[in-house]
Amino acid sequence: MVNDKIGVYVCHCGGNISDVVDVYKVVKAVQNFPNVAVAKEFMFMCSDQGQQMIEDDIKELGLNGVVVASCSPHLHETTFRKVLARAGLNPFLFEHINIREHAAWAHKHDPEGATEKAIRLVRSGIAKVSKARALESIRIDMPPQILIIGAGIAGIRSALDLAKLGIEVHLVEQLPFVGGRIAQGYGAYPSGKIGTELIDELVEELKKEKSNIHLYTNAEVVSIEGFIGNFEVEIQINPRYVVKECDKFDEAIEKCPIEVLDEFNYGMTKRKAIYYPYPNAYPELPAIDMNACNKCGECVNVCGDAIDLDQKPERKKIKASIITFATGFDPYEPKEGEYGYKQFDNVVTLPQFERLLALSNGKLEYKGKEIKDVAFIYCVGSREREGEHKYCSRYCCTATINAALAANQKFGVRTFHVYRDIRTYGKYETYYEEASKNGAVFLKFSPDEPPEITQSGDKLIVKVKDQLTFGEEIEIPVDMVVLSVGMVPRKTEVVSMLRVPYSMDGFLQEVHPKLRPVETAIGGVLIAGACQAPKDTVEATASASATAAKASTYLLRGYTELDPFIVEVDAEKCTGCGDCVEECMFGSIELKDVNGEKKAFVIEATCRGCGACAGICPEEAINLRGYTYDQLRAQIDAMLEEVEE
Amino acid sequence: MRLNVDFTAKLKKFGAETTYECFNCGNCTAICPLSTNEEQFPRKFIRYLQLGLESKIRSSVEPWLCYYCGECQQTCPRQANPGELMMSVRRYLTTVYDWTGLSKRLYTSTTWKFLSVGILFFATLFIVYLLHGPIVTDHTELETFAPAEIVHPAGYVFGTILAVILLGNVYRMHKFIMGDTKAPFSLYIQELGTLIKHFAIQARLRLCENKSLWLKHWLLMTGYTAAFILVQVDILTFWSLTNNPPPAWHPAKILWTYATVAMLYATTVAIIGRLKKEEPIHQYSHSTDWMFLILLWLTVFTGFLVRIFMQFDLPLPTYYAFAIHLAFTVPLLGLEVPFTKWSHLAYRPFALYFLNVKRRALEGE
Ligand SMILES: Cc1cc2nc3c(=O)[nH]c(=O)nc-3n(C[C@H](O)[C@H](O)[C@H](O)COP(=O)(O)OP(=O)(O)OC[C@H]3O[C@@H](n4cnc5c(N)ncnc54)[C@H](O)[C@@H]3O)c2cc1C
Ligand code: SF4
Ligand code: SF4
Ligand code: SF4
Ligand code: SF4
Repeated sequence: MVNDKIGVYVCHCGGNISDVVDVYKVVKAVQNFPNVAVAKEFMFMCSDQGQQMIEDDIKELGLNGVVVASCSPHLHETTFRKVLARAGLNPFLFEHINIREHAAWAHKHDPEGATEKAIRLVRSGIAKVSKARALESIRIDMPPQILIIGAGIAGIRSALDLAKLGIEVHLVEQLPFVGGRIAQGYGAYPSGKIGTELIDELVEELKKEKSNIHLYTNAEVVSIEGFIGNFEVEIQINPRYVVKECDKFDEAIEKCPIEVLDEFNYGMTKRKAIYYPYPNAYPELPAIDMNACNKCGECVNVCGDAIDLDQKPERKKIKASIITFATGFDPYEPKEGEYGYKQFDNVVTLPQFERLLALSNGKLEYKGKEIKDVAFIYCVGSREREGEHKYCSRYCCTATINAALAANQKFGVRTFHVYRDIRTYGKYETYYEEASKNGAVFLKFSPDEPPEITQSGDKLIVKVKDQLTFGEEIEIPVDMVVLSVGMVPRKTEVVSMLRVPYSMDGFLQEVHPKLRPVETAIGGVLIAGACQAPKDTVEATASASATAAKASTYLLRGYTELDPFIVEVDAEKCTGCGDCVEECMFGSIELKDVNGEKKAFVIEATCRGCGACAGICPEEAINLRGYTYDQLRAQIDAMLEEVEE
Repeated sequence: MRLNVDFTAKLKKFGAETTYECFNCGNCTAICPLSTNEEQFPRKFIRYLQLGLESKIRSSVEPWLCYYCGECQQTCPRQANPGELMMSVRRYLTTVYDWTGLSKRLYTSTTWKFLSVGILFFATLFIVYLLHGPIVTDHTELETFAPAEIVHPAGYVFGTILAVILLGNVYRMHKFIMGDTKAPFSLYIQELGTLIKHFAIQARLRLCENKSLWLKHWLLMTGYTAAFILVQVDILTFWSLTNNPPPAWHPAKILWTYATVAMLYATTVAIIGRLKKEEPIHQYSHSTDWMFLILLWLTVFTGFLVRIFMQFDLPLPTYYAFAIHLAFTVPLLGLEVPFTKWSHLAYRPFALYFLNVKRRALEGE
């Protein structure tokens, strides 16, 4: 089948094109080309008159294909497709040829060459359209259900935004309690609120949205099948062993004989096997850590059937149109001996220091020793010259200064800041200034000569070649060294289930940082919070609300349309070799039995139209719609045809 | 080198209040018209202050090369008052050089300031009370009241004591600045020109953008140099401490009138400036700055009164004014010359002098 009545429209672009390319010559050179019914030039093809001209031609001349030679398709492809649709023609019987960037601008100093190139390009477009087929956008239903993985500040924020629109949210958290990392912080910049207070506020809202938000704590995603609009997720809810309210939980906890290191306090304190991480934790029921519990039954004696030590894991199937990752980050764990970590008692990380601030009253004490002078070493596990963590973790400069200010104000601690660069960006500059005013001392080191920590008596000595003091080696005697550790990506299995791509830094990657900042390359999979890149809470919640907004654009409309440019398999030619299955990195093509023979089948909703399978198929059994072998060959032939003077 | 922020805290008493506001950008050093590649300041010294590097500060000469023109004050993005911090380093250095320990007390304790001024003031009045001659009331006979054979020798003895203390301090300054560098004696002779030049005209202050500063300073300087010389030559010319004052056109009197007007003008302007706090160098006043200005103003003003009363032949007012004039002069000279602000007059040229000697000694090595 050939489209034999093609209209060709060459645009001047107000001189952008016609100052270099001889558009009249182009029109002349293509008007007698096979299958061309009409060829015209016009000053601005995208203007109302230009569009009207094309629309009228389609109707009056009965065109069955259109080529517009103008600017970049990024600018106006959609515009002209709509013109076709308005005139009642299938919008995919259209080819947009870019003779502005590709001819006029690229070859400014060679008008003749540019004109010849334009002619060849336009002819190839005509050849392509002549073999084009009418295509339909793929419509996918989007029932208003979403899965959010991770109930840190980002996950909760996003869940709330969506629930308020009446969308059904499944919020899955792997730990027994919600809140994520910020709950472990001390007074958080910029509000100064204690981390748990921030979470408390969100939890209050969460309680109000119970009808729309299904919260699963102690839960993990076991498998994910399906695609945008139709994800089928299985989760496992691990037992909490505490099954209902009891007003004597405090007593039960006290009776519990088992003590283990409390991970919430980064192992600086101990907790019982039945525990709350912190007083106001949510959900309100305590949890039992079965790795520690010896089933002595002391707690059961207090709380009776509120505690079920034999509770079993439970599996549950969930349907979701969209999945949002809000799985967060891990603080960098310094290597043993890195700046004296785990080598000297009083070398701790910033997260530990913040817990210490939260837990201390009156004076700051660590391992029985009063802490009066503290040195902070910045960029630990960030901005590495060699190694994985080449990026800046963004939060640590401000968080360190913020913590130092708190330590100074609450405990009169003197602080020394051994840094590479201070990046208290934006409005956080005031923290830096305030710290200076309060007598914080800043010393700058070069990564070529990092500071060294040694011990001398009951003091730690930080030796730093201070670039602000002309490279002199300065020794700072302190009681504690705090390592301002960066954020590192958290590798979770769910990510690999969906094949969400990682960035070079190992965080989850968006499609485009400016144009599509919260979508991943996988259709229907969004990212919120610090799983995407180092973010503080301000940035984490902003991106969380952005994912909610993005998701709602699908979920409120109830469907989405995908471009029809995906592959199709010619079952006649397919030999079932399966090469394509291996080639597809999205798992979008599979072999199925058809009357005893294996044949390739495309999963239309997830195929990205990359064409990799089409390229690998030895039988040319796979064609990419809109870019079929026929079309491409015709294009090449047309392009190579001689252009007579 | 050990960081020692206790030292930094100590320097607050000398006026180094804003040390930690500085974030080491270096704008101040870039703008300073007196800082050079070899002798950089003020940022370097603010850094030493921030880390409490006492030994670095003690051995440095640069603070004396800063004339507090205040240009850095205006460019500092953190309002860290670099010029004032340099000033506080000079105050500190003055106490380091002073071997009597009085300087430190004067800079750091208000009680000591009031006490020493008070004691010298009343002691002088008491001595005048004890030793004054007959009081002639029918017309003014100042010399009869204050016999030159007592006043002049007493003045010389007082001056010698001050000079000895000050030179002792200069000697200590020399030790701190030269450190281990040994310079041949000939260099000290060759460089005497530097010393005299900078003592006489304060050449470096002219490098400041604001020329009026130099002018005011120069007026003050020439004013008290003239006054100083006139007091010294009085023993020969008998123009001042006399029962028969010479006529108005007497050269000594003309010069004296200049000195009075110059000093009164400069001190009054400075006092108003410090009260108004408009100019950068006047924004921050240490208690010793006030002590200096007030004593100087009162001394000049009472000297002026003596002259007026004498002119109108008012015996008693003349004698009283003279006694009070002396009572202000003694603490002014006694405390300011060797121990506080006026010592800078000596330290500044000596600093340049020692610096040149040291530099040439090091080059020669
Ligand atoms: C020491 C320190 C101090 C800080 N101070 C501040 C501050 O003062 N101000 C500020 O704005 N920010 C601060 N931050 C940054 C702040 O902690 C983060 O911005 C914030 O925690 C990011 O939230 P999130 O929800 O994206 O990730 P997280 O807080 O990491 O939450 C992720 C959640 O997802 C869960 N999860 C992960 N994987 C899975 C899975 N596979 N299945 C189910 N659940 C999963 C986790 O258990 C966790 O609950 C600080 C960070 C640190 C380390
Ligand atoms: S925010 Fe500051 S401490 Fe953290 S990596 Fe960046 S520069 Fe280093
Ligand atoms: S076109 Fe790409 S995404 Fe689609 S099935 Fe083929 S390889 Fe997979
Ligand atoms: S005193 Fe001011 S101008 Fe000078 S280095 Fe410090 S911040 Fe910069
Ligand atoms: S006050 Fe003047 S001379 Fe002193 S450091 Fe500042 S700019 Fe330089």
